[in-house]
Amino acid sequence: MLDTLSTSLKDALKKLAGKTVIDRAAVDELVKDLQRALISSDVNVKLVMELSKSIRTRSLDEQLPKGTNVREHVLRIVYQELVRLVWVSTDVKLEPQTILMAGLQGSGKTTTTAKLARYFQKKGMKVGVICADTFRPGAYDQISTLCAKINVPCFGNPLEKNALKLTREGLETLKDLELVIVDTQGRHALEADLIREIIEINVITKATHRWLVIDAALGQQASEQARRFHEAIDIDGVIITKMDGTAKGGGALSAVAETKSGIVFIGSGETIEDLERFEPDGFISRLLGMGDLKALLERANEAIKADEVDVNAMMKGKFTLRDMYKQLEALNKMGPLKQIMGMLPMGNMELPDGVYDVTSTKMVRYRIIMDSMTSGELDDPALINSSRMQRIARGAGSTPDEVRELIKYYKMMQRTLKGLRGAGGGKFNMQRLMKRFSGMQ
Amino acid sequence: MFGGLREKLQAARNRLGSSIQEAIVTQAPPAPETHKGGPSASSASQKSISSAAPTFADKVKILIIDRELVVSEKDLSEALSELEMTLLESDVALTVTDAIIAHVRTNLVGKHRKIGASVDALVVGALKSALLEVLGNGFDLINYIKTHNRPVKILFTGVNGTGKTTTVAKIGSYLKKQGYTVVIGAGDTYRAGAIEQIGVHAGRIGIKIIQHQEGADPSAVLFDAVQYAVSHKIDVVLADTAGRFHTKSNLMSQLEKIRRVMKPDLVVYVDEAVAGNDAVVRAAEFDRTVGADAVVLTKADMDSRGGAAISIAHTIGKPLMFLGTGQGYEDIIPFDPVQVVEELLGSDA
Ligand SMILES: Nc1nc2c(ncn2[C@@H]2O[C@H](COP(=O)(O)OP(=O)(O)OP(=O)(O)O)[C@@H](O)[C@H]2O)c(=O)[nH]1
Ligand SMILES: Nc1nc2c(ncn2[C@@H]2O[C@H](COP(=O)(O)OP(=O)(O)OP(=O)(O)O)[C@@H](O)[C@H]2O)c(=O)[nH]1
Ligand SMILES: [Mg+2]
Ligand SMILES: [Mg+2]
Repeated sequence: MLDTLSTSLKDALKKLAGKTVIDRAAVDELVKDLQRALISSDVNVKLVMELSKSIRTRSLDEQLPKGTNVREHVLRIVYQELVRLVWVSTDVKLEPQTILMAGLQGSGKTTTTAKLARYFQKKGMKVGVICADTFRPGAYDQISTLCAKINVPCFGNPLEKNALKLTREGLETLKDLELVIVDTQGRHALEADLIREIIEINVITKATHRWLVIDAALGQQASEQARRFHEAIDIDGVIITKMDGTAKGGGALSAVAETKSGIVFIGSGETIEDLERFEPDGFISRLLGMGDLKALLERANEAIKADEVDVNAMMKGKFTLRDMYKQLEALNKMGPLKQIMGMLPMGNMELPDGVYDVTSTKMVRYRIIMDSMTSGELDDPALINSSRMQRIARGAGSTPDEVRELIKYYKMMQRTLKGLRGAGGGKFNMQRLMKRFSGMQ
Repeated sequence: MFGGLREKLQAARNRLGSSIQEAIVTQAPPAPETHKGGPSASSASQKSISSAAPTFADKVKILIIDRELVVSEKDLSEALSELEMTLLESDVALTVTDAIIAHVRTNLVGKHRKIGASVDALVVGALKSALLEVLGNGFDLINYIKTHNRPVKILFTGVNGTGKTTTVAKIGSYLKKQGYTVVIGAGDTYRAGAIEQIGVHAGRIGIKIIQHQEGADPSAVLFDAVQYAVSHKIDVVLADTAGRFHTKSNLMSQLEKIRRVMKPDLVVYVDEAVAGNDAVVRAAEFDRTVGADAVVLTKADMDSRGGAAISIAHTIGKPLMFLGTGQGYEDIIPFDPVQVVEELLGSDA
C-alpha cells in the first residue's frame, strides 16, 4: 500500500518535473498525495491539513527560483515545511544533568533509559539511574538487569510504593554522579493521579530535561497525549522508539508540533546499543514514503551551480552570508565537512574545531533562518542588529540566540577563509577548495 | 471508550443526512422558510432529532416518504469527505478508510431508493452495515473452551510492549473467576525482567506458572507448561511470548517453532487500540507468518477512538476477542461488535 502511495507521490512530482510554470491543478494533486502519505504515516490529521495548506500557498505564491523547475521548487518547500516542524535545537550537552523519562504504558521508557545511560557513559560521563516505577511488576528487575550489564548504578526498591519518596532517596544516593536518568511508570492523559505524580517527580528532581517517549506506531492520539504531558511537565524533547519496525513515526511528529520541542533520539532495536541521534532527512523520507527524498532533493539543489559561488570575490575577502548559504547547501549534499576536507590536497592545514561542529540538522536550520533574511542582510551581515535579529528569528520560527549563533558561525567561517588565504595555500588549491565547498562531487 | 468516534460519526451522519435532504429539497416542492432548526444546525444526537417537535427536517422527511430518491455522487462528495476525515482522525487506517467510504458510497450513490423510513436511517444503515461488515463477529472464549478438548492451549503474540503479558494475566484472572483452572507459561525468556513480571502477576492472581531461566528456549518452557496442564488436568494453558517485530525473521521463525512445539488451539494476536496505520501492516504480517485466530486490543482506556479495531479486523478478517481497558486484572471486556457499532452510531436508528 505504501509503495503505491509513494509511487503516486512520485508520479505527481514527475508531472511537475518538466514544468517551469506553476500548474495549479498539478500542485493540488501533489498536495493531495502528500496529505495521504502523511496521514498514512500517522501524522495528526489536523496538522496535515495545516501543513498542506501552507505548502500549497507557498508553492503557488513564491517565485520559482531561477533555473529550477516546479517539481524542485515544490519539493524544496515540502521539505522545508517538514523540517521546520521536526527541528528545534535538541543539543545534548555533556554536562551534569537530570533527565526525566515520561510516556504512555509500554512506549519504551525503561529500555530507552538504559540506552541513554549507555550513550552518556560512552561519552565519558558518570551516569546513574533511578527506577521511580513503583507500579509495574518486575519494573525494578528490568531496569536493574539492564544497568548491571553496563555497570551503571541503579537505585530502586520493588517493595516501596511511593514513587516520590523513592525519587528523593535516589537523588540523595546518586548525588555524586554527573547525570541521573529517572525512569517512571507508564501513564496516559486521562490518569489524573498519575499525571499529578509525574508533576511532583518533576518538581523534586528539578529535571534538566523532560523527554517524552513515543512509540513509532502511535496514531492520532499522539497530539492529545503529548499536549497533556506538555502541560504537566513542559516536555523539551521527544524520543521515538521502535523505529526498527514498519511504523513511520508520524505520531512523534504530531507530538513535537504539540510540545514545540524536537526529536532527540531514535530507538531502533531492543538492545542497549540501539539508540541513534535524530537525523531529519531520513525521518522525513520515511514519513513521505519516499526512500529517495534525499537524492531528489540533491538534484534540486544542483540548481545552485558551482560557478554561482563567486570564488574570486571570496578570494578578495568578500564572503557573505549568501556564500555561506550556498556552502551549507552544498555541504548538506556532500556529507560531513571533516570528510570533505580530508579529500582535499590541503596537507596539514589546521581548521578550528568549531567549523566541523555543524551537524546536518543545524545546517538545515541555518538555511531556514537565512531564508527569512532580506537580501541586503545576506550581502552584508553587519546590518543585522538586535531588532532585525528578532524579526529574522520570528520569521524562521527560531530564537534570536540561534540567529546570533549563526552569525557567530559565519564569522568563524570568514576568519577561517582569511586564515587559509593568509597561509598562502596557493591559488590553485584555494579555488579547488571553493569548488568543493560549493557543490561539486 | 469510543466516545470520540461516536460523537464525530454522529456529526458526520448528520451532515450526510442533511446533504441527502438538500438533494431532496431541490427535487421537492418549495421548502418552508425556517432553516434554523435544520439538521445541519443541530449537533445533537439523532434522539433529539426524532423526539423534538416537528422540525424542518421532519417536514422534509414527510415530504419524501414513498418518493423515489436519486442520490448523486456530487450530492454526497462533501459529506463523504467529512466522514473520511472522521474515520482517519479515529485511527482507522487510510486503506481501510478508503474501503469503508467506497462501501458507503456504493450503498448511497446512484441508486433509486424508495424512502419509507427516515433519511437518517438510510445513512446510518449504510454506515452500520459497513462497520459491521468490517468488524465481523466477536469471539466467545468461554464458549470456545466449553466446546474443545482440555487443555485448551492459547498462544499470545504481538509486537513489543502492546500488553501481551498483562493480557495473559487478565485473561487468567477472568477464566479463574469463571471456574476454570489455568496454567501460565513464561515464554518470554528474552526481555530483562520479563520472567519476574509474569511471575508476580501469576502469584497475585493465584495461578500456577511454568518458567525457566532467562535466555532459555521459549519452546521448551511452553512445552513444559502444556505437559504440566495435561498431567494436572488443567483446563487452559496461557502462553506468554516476547514481543517481536514482524520484520525480524529470526524472531518470527522462533515463534513459528513455538507454534510447532506447543501446538496451540488458538493464536491470539495482541495489539493496542492507540496504534495508527502500522496496525494494519503488522497484523497482516503476523497473520501471514504464524497465524492469528483472534485479536485482543489493549489500552482502549487511553481515550482511544477505536479505529485500530476496525483496521485490524478489516485487514485480517479475524474476530476481536477482548478489549483491555486499564492495568487492573478486571480491566478487560469481551468484545461485542454489535455493541461497539451501536455505541458508535446509536442503537435507536
Ligand atoms: N524493537 C524495539 N523494541 C523496543 C524498542 N524500545 C523498546 N522496545 C521494546 O518495547 C517493549 C516495551 O519497552 P519498555 O522499555 O518496557 O517500555 P516502558 O515504556 O518502560 O513500559 P512501562 O514501564 O510498562 O510503561 C519491550 O519489549 C522493549 O524491549 C525499540 O527501539 N525497538
Ligand atoms: N492503560 C493501559 N495499560 C495497559 C493495558 N494493557 C497493558 N498495559 C500496560 O502496558 C505496559 C506494557 O504491557 P506488557 O503486558 O508488559 O506488554 P507486553 O506486550 O508483554 O510487552 P513486551 O513483552 O515487552 O513485548 C505495562 O505497563 C502494562 O501495565 C491496558 O489495557 N491499558
Ligand atoms: Mg518501564
Ligand atoms: Mg511481555
